[in-house]
Amino acid sequence: MADTFIIETADLRKHYDGVEAVRGLSLQVPAGSIYGFLGRNGAGKTTTIKLLLGMARPTGGRARVFGLAADEDRASVDIRRRTGFVSDDKDLYDYMTVAEMIRFTAAFFPRWRADLEQRYLRAFALPLDRKIKALSRGMRTKLALLLALCRGAELLILDEPTAGLDPAMTEEVLQALVTHVAAEEMTVFFSSHQIAEVDQIADRVAIIDRGRAVLTGALDDLRESYRRIQLVFDGDAPEPAFRAPGVVRVRRKGRVLTVLSSAGAERILDEARALNPVSVDVVPVTLKEIFLETVTVED
Amino acid sequence: MLFRPNPSSGVPIYLQLMEQVKHGIETGALRPGEQLPGIRPLAEELVINPNTVAKAYRELEHEGVIELRHGAGAFVSGQVREKKLTDRLRAGQTIVAAAVERLHARGVTDEEIRRLFEAELAGLSRSGGERG
Amino acid sequence: MLWYKSWLETRWRFVIGLVLLMLSACGTVLSYPQVVKLLPLAPTVQVSGEIGRRVSEAMELARTYRGFVWSEWFRQNMLQTWGLFAVLLGTGGLLSQASGGGALFTLSLPATRSRLLGVRAATGLAELLVLAFVPSLLLPALSPIVGQTYGIGEALVHGACVFIAGSVFFSLAFLLSTVFSGVWPPLLIAICVAAVLRLFDVVLRDMSRYSVFGVMSGETYFRGGGLPWLGLVASAAASAAMLYGAVLNIARRDF
Repeated sequence: MADTFIIETADLRKHYDGVEAVRGLSLQVPAGSIYGFLGRNGAGKTTTIKLLLGMARPTGGRARVFGLAADEDRASVDIRRRTGFVSDDKDLYDYMTVAEMIRFTAAFFPRWRADLEQRYLRAFALPLDRKIKALSRGMRTKLALLLALCRGAELLILDEPTAGLDPAMTEEVLQALVTHVAAEEMTVFFSSHQIAEVDQIADRVAIIDRGRAVLTGALDDLRESYRRIQLVFDGDAPEPAFRAPGVVRVRRKGRVLTVLSSAGAERILDEARALNPVSVDVVPVTLKEIFLETVTVED
Repeated sequence: MLFRPNPSSGVPIYLQLMEQVKHGIETGALRPGEQLPGIRPLAEELVINPNTVAKAYRELEHEGVIELRHGAGAFVSGQVREKKLTDRLRAGQTIVAAAVERLHARGVTDEEIRRLFEAELAGLSRSGGERG
Repeated sequence: MLWYKSWLETRWRFVIGLVLLMLSACGTVLSYPQVVKLLPLAPTVQVSGEIGRRVSEAMELARTYRGFVWSEWFRQNMLQTWGLFAVLLGTGGLLSQASGGGALFTLSLPATRSRLLGVRAATGLAELLVLAFVPSLLLPALSPIVGQTYGIGEALVHGACVFIAGSVFFSLAFLLSTVFSGVWPPLLIAICVAAVLRLFDVVLRDMSRYSVFGVMSGETYFRGGGLPWLGLVASAAASAAMLYGAVLNIARRDF
């Protein structure tokens, strides 16, 4: 199932006069997955998306969508014909009404789904005659989502789809995405810095920091292999040198030694027990903790 | 389903679902032969990835807890399997009750007991599929 | 639907321009009787310098209705107003906010950038074509009201000269709007260029019929020397080159 990659980048680079926004990004998005692209503000998420959609040209490396080269003009038009996109500013044409915007967009996609259009118009309660400049941010996001979902696309690229939305609307948007993925053959690639929503619906993640992917993989694999081991000692905690691989971070504070491991917790535990701690605690690690550790580690 | 999984806990969602199904069977909330919600409706209701629900159901079928009937849906396994499950759980319950009693006798609090069990399980498991 | 979008973005500029030009055409025609009344006073006007020269030239031309129309309308009112709207219609587009935001949305559509630009250019030029011909055709239509006639053919020829030569201003604004984001820089720069060219006209009086404005007003045709073919071809070529430059700019730009 995962032998076709809908999106694939290899050492992708983008240089914007003096700023290196993307510095060697390599990732692979399998068909049918919901792929969360996590990173801090300015880490390069939006730039990467622009490179995938031909809005900007890479200065190095390679990006392929549907196996087509993203930086070739004609291929890029093909890519965009099969992709639904929602930008992070959710900007549409202020002077058009909701109805005009839908008619305008539908004209570009021969596979436009009128049935989905009706369904989402009702579900999102979008007022057909209102001008887009009079819509609230939440309504604009929902309209942008409708325009992306109804075009019969095989891939959705969403840049911070729930940014600025209240929890109820966020849940509505996530629900629309999940429902859509369940019913159609779709791959979703969405960038976010809301870890909770990545936790909720993504099955694969990539964490991007300063233009590079610092961690990629199936979310469940991460949850099953990352562990936090907490050791309490009688006296001051020792300075251990763990030989077992998979140690991401060791912190000493008074009598407590905390080890964050990305794999092989048992071997680390064995070494840890040899230090004679008073107590040993092994707990799962949340995605938030993994994120915070991996983006602040390099300095 | 009777609850919402906690996506942010660090425990894979599919494991949480599996746990809840097993718990439902054990307490009788889910009876042998009863149909479970479909993958799509369940994913929509819980607002989680449909692949996650599918994975949970696949693992439960692998363990014999449920049956996936092509075209019809997911059903709780029939009598025999169910009995094995509840027997195992009942035996487990006895062991746990005894252990908790002994720990209480040593003055270990409930919260500490819970953490000890979690640590033990988290420390020993290689992957969720190998447990139980 | 790209045509519809371009129309929505430019329609007010177009409509206002059309109304202004049509009113101006009416005004020109209807003011002729007044001018005729003032003609006998011409020799008594003694203003020196450039202004004086212009006034006496205008009076001289106004002796015939055809001359009056050419001097007031095709060489002045029409030229200036239409030129302004040519620049106005050339601004806006992908880079500026004039399109109401949504640049990234537009770029995410399955259309090449040349097509996006091509439709916008074609819409603007079509509107300018209407702005050149419709008000001009009002002249033959309304002239009988003041007891005069004006040839349809003449109106069409002058309209064509305005459009073809004046398209350079549209194309200049169009090209500038692929270089500068925002609405004002292209507008102001194009107007400055027009003002500078106008200045050359004043300074090099004798060559004025060969300048852009001279070709736009169809001076050589008016004075019986035939159409300014060279000027028209040169303008069309310059326009095409600037539009092509705009396409190249947008094609290689990063958003």
